[in-house]
Amino acid sequence: MNTKSNSRTWQILTVMRILAWVAFIGYMIEAGAVLFSYGVSWLNPESAKNLYKGLNLNDLRQLNVWYYTNAVTFMVSLSALKAFVWYLVIKILLKINLTNPFKMEVANTLERISYVLFGTWIVGMLSSAYSAWLMKTTGQTFVNYVSGEFIFVAGLVFIISQVFKRGVEIQSENELTV
Amino acid sequence: MPIIVNLDVMMAKRKISLSELSEKVDLTLANLSILKTGKAKAIRFSTLEAICQALDCQPGDLLEYSKE
Repeated sequence: MNTKSNSRTWQILTVMRILAWVAFIGYMIEAGAVLFSYGVSWLNPESAKNLYKGLNLNDLRQLNVWYYTNAVTFMVSLSALKAFVWYLVIKILLKINLTNPFKMEVANTLERISYVLFGTWIVGMLSSAYSAWLMKTTGQTFVNYVSGEFIFVAGLVFIISQVFKRGVEIQSENELTV
Repeated sequence: MPIIVNLDVMMAKRKISLSELSEKVDLTLANLSILKTGKAKAIRFSTLEAICQALDCQPGDLLEYSKE
């Protein structure tokens, strides 16, 4: 790789690192804000009217506290899982080195990201199913997540991680060629 | 690995040190050490040619096949 494209890739990765930090902090704030509002709603039920960005679950809370708790749990779990994915992305971006980019640690983290994304898809599906069930039984619902893309991205990242592992082997062979 | 590198044997026969050989074949000490300790996964023909020239030997003197 020549110096020019190397520095361009480095610039792109630096921008991606900043964006990853922004996304990570954003999802952490989202999860924290919902959790905090949920805690406050136990002392002041009125706060359930605006959990996060105008999300009103007050009717659901008044209907059944457990339904409300489950809905909040799904929302917090999804935000936390997304934050965790971005945390792993930051970890990769901090470790990556353009001279020798193929490291087993990075390949393993990529594989881990695919598993976390798969978990996010499962939680998203459960959340959607729960939301639909709530709508059917109580007429109340909370944010309806479209989680189908998570399985697609999880599969894609898993394939990339496997190709990356082969890259690690090739790089190792190249380094041990005299 | 079934391929054994006998570089150390040939170096002892020719009474040449690793640093001397490194200068003669224009390879780094680290790379020669990888070759000497049998950690290398591949060897370029150009490297083999340079070592054979420096040690005045044949590739067969440096490499040996063993079933185990």
